[in-house]
Amino acid sequence: MGDISFGQTIGMLKNAMDGASAAHSAIANNIANVNTPNFRRTDVSFKEALAQSEASMGDPTTFSLETNDPRQFSLDGAHAAQPFSVTSTVDDTEQMRVDGSNVDVDQEMAKLSINSSYAQTMSQLLGNGYTRIRRAIEEQA
Amino acid sequence: MGMYDSIEVSASGLSAERLAMDTIANNIANANTTRTAEGGPFKRQLVVFAQKQDASSASVAAAGGDPSASQAGVQVVGIVNDNSPDRLVYDPTHPDADANGYVHMPNVDVVKEMVDMMAASRAYEANVTAIEESRNMGNATLGILKA
Repeated sequence: MGDISFGQTIGMLKNAMDGASAAHSAIANNIANVNTPNFRRTDVSFKEALAQSEASMGDPTTFSLETNDPRQFSLDGAHAAQPFSVTSTVDDTEQMRVDGSNVDVDQEMAKLSINSSYAQTMSQLLGNGYTRIRRAIEEQA
Repeated sequence: MGMYDSIEVSASGLSAERLAMDTIANNIANANTTRTAEGGPFKRQLVVFAQKQDASSASVAAAGGDPSASQAGVQVVGIVNDNSPDRLVYDPTHPDADANGYVHMPNVDVVKEMVDMMAASRAYEANVTAIEESRNMGNATLGILKA
């Protein structure tokens, strides 16, 4: 998330989409190399990094808003998301094919489909998030 | 990586599989060719696929210093001849028959080529699907601004 934060939801969704994008590139690379002998497939895991960045966002250390009435909103947990990094690992598990590659194209296609749905859901939610902000700014019902 | 860079990864797969299909088609077309410019019968050709690594320091840095994340798809590193023995067919009337009446036919097994062609075709389709998903994801991302 950049300098301006409209709450942690948008930062989280941005991280989720970054992760899904990295995972998509890795899956596309695995599929492109489906006929490459001795190829090792790459796995991108971002769910753990996402959970970590979510956990770190609850900690109001970056800045806070002074309140003098319990009915006022504080900015606890509303600051920018922590840096988020995906990790890609080379899968060195058993060879399941005679040519030494460990790519199973069916599994990759399933992962591709799941990841794409996930990314599209996240972008839909992000769009909804911006719509809410715009409504608040424009004082629409 | 940019938003649409994964399409280039899949496109490298499309190019490689298409070249494999072209080579297989050439093998089938020459399944009965007994004369070539090098002399002797046609030799079956095979494409060699290799992983394409974008090892430039910029792309490794962009991937957070992780070199395994700088993968850029697949490339064909060469087309090699299959040097398995020629198929011998007894046909003394053939103009290229040897002294014993045997003709050296290409080492192309048409059934094997057909199976290889199916594999290449399915891999091509898998890459097309990956491109479609890339485009759907990119369009969904652009759609954020429309909401």
